[in-house]
Amino acid sequence: MDRRTFLQTATAASLLGVARPSHAATLIDEIKSRGVLRAGLSTFVPWAMRDKTGALIGYELDVGKRLGADLGVKYEPMPTAWDGIIPALLAGQFDVIIGGMTVTPKRLESVDFTEAYSFTGVAMVASKKVAPGLSTIEAFNRPDITIVVRRGTAAVTVAQQILPNATLRQFDDDAQALQELKNANAAAWITSTPKPAFAAIDNPDTLYLPFDKIIAPQRDAMAVRKGETATLAVLNEWIAARKADGFLQDRFHFWFEQRSWLSQVQA
Amino acid sequence: MLVVLAGFAAFIAYRVQAVLNYRWSWAPIPNYLLRWDPERGWVINLLLQGLLTTLRLSLWSMLLAACFGTVIGVLRSSVQLLPRLIGGTYVELMRNTPPLVLIFVGYFFVSSQIMPLLGIDAMLRNTSPAMRAAIELGFGDPRLLKNFLSAAIVLALFEGAYIAEILRAGIASVERGQWDAAAALGLSRWRGLRLVVLPQALTRMVPPLCGQVISLIKDSAVVSLISIQDLTFMANDVAVSSNLVFETWLTASAMYFVVCLALSLGFHRLERRLDR
Repeated sequence: MDRRTFLQTATAASLLGVARPSHAATLIDEIKSRGVLRAGLSTFVPWAMRDKTGALIGYELDVGKRLGADLGVKYEPMPTAWDGIIPALLAGQFDVIIGGMTVTPKRLESVDFTEAYSFTGVAMVASKKVAPGLSTIEAFNRPDITIVVRRGTAAVTVAQQILPNATLRQFDDDAQALQELKNANAAAWITSTPKPAFAAIDNPDTLYLPFDKIIAPQRDAMAVRKGETATLAVLNEWIAARKADGFLQDRFHFWFEQRSWLSQVQA
Repeated sequence: MLVVLAGFAAFIAYRVQAVLNYRWSWAPIPNYLLRWDPERGWVINLLLQGLLTTLRLSLWSMLLAACFGTVIGVLRSSVQLLPRLIGGTYVELMRNTPPLVLIFVGYFFVSSQIMPLLGIDAMLRNTSPAMRAAIELGFGDPRLLKNFLSAAIVLALFEGAYIAEILRAGIASVERGQWDAAAALGLSRWRGLRLVVLPQALTRMVPPLCGQVISLIKDSAVVSLISIQDLTFMANDVAVSSNLVFETWLTASAMYFVVCLALSLGFHRLERRLDR
């Protein structure tokens, strides 16, 4: 039982006794009457991050602001630690998770997901020093290959399924995983696009992309508490409309496929 | 001694540089402490905001923990079995569970069960601007007040167990003869505790209590997991966003160090004054 599952079970147990307020009014009505959409997110470049003035920017922020504007309410991002984001949603700390959360069967047990609203996948970047010249995913499936991942992400599941023989090491955040790779203590880092590509661009001397394609496509969606069918329908309708008019594609291109925003984050 | 330490630090720095493939870049860090805003002049940025939250949280949870700790500590020192059992259960439960789990479970329980009873939201809507400013000064952003209070209560419950033990040890360290003397003067057990034993116990409790304050400040870092935007949470955000991992964490550690060292020196002077 990993730490995440344990904490979630513990929290679920602590919440069992909670008499949730009856859902006479649906969540979406509540959001509208409150005039504020509270959305949970976690720092994850370029989904959500801090710019030099300390303000939050990123794909999720653009999505959230537009969603708020279209619903006629104020969008309020709630920065949350990734490990506790689902329990926080269940405890009612915010209305919805708009934070690049990948749909997994495990998560589906505790929350409901909308349709996907981004176009990402899981990819790999490798160390030139530790694992030079490899060009297929199969080449990494060896016990002497160490793969680093961020704990609790979809990359963990993908790595376990596709590279069962490789040694897996988990870190609390991406910065630590990347540092371990740069320190030549690991052969490769598996994480969501676009980070592998960005990492290879930033460190041309030490890192390279072994193959160009993503290992597994990813379905990133907004999450709400179970049983909020009316709210889910509104969100799905919004996602479909914003895909149709190209808003989501445009924002995705801005944050994931080029980096003109980098000067807002780094000196 | 200082030369040896400096030499050792230089050696570590050299080894780190040799082993790590890392481009150091300290220049952006001061901007995360204080930044220049064209409209408002110098304003504090994420790391100092985080430090302020840590200090506020430590202050309030210490005050609450002192209350919990006193009650439980007195229960623990009772001559009757039931209060002793209640106090003992509390202390053992808190001390022998990992703080992370306590914080996590306790926080969601407090924020979903106790907070609605307090009616914070309604209170916030009805306060005057002056009151809001006061709340902001004492507790930080009013929108995050509920989170902040939950975290302070949970931390206080946890730290209260240690304070209770310090109090019990302080009371137990006062000689048996003092109790007998109080009884001989016709004081009840409660008055004897209050007038004779506690004043003597308190001076003996000062050093461990000071240590507890300092460890509370450092322990408060676990609340970053429940999304309190304290120094650790902010440092993590800055490190991930700016990719300046070591610079940010070293700066955050230095900030914890400076605060704890200042307190430590202050308490040292306090102890010397009490000894006189």
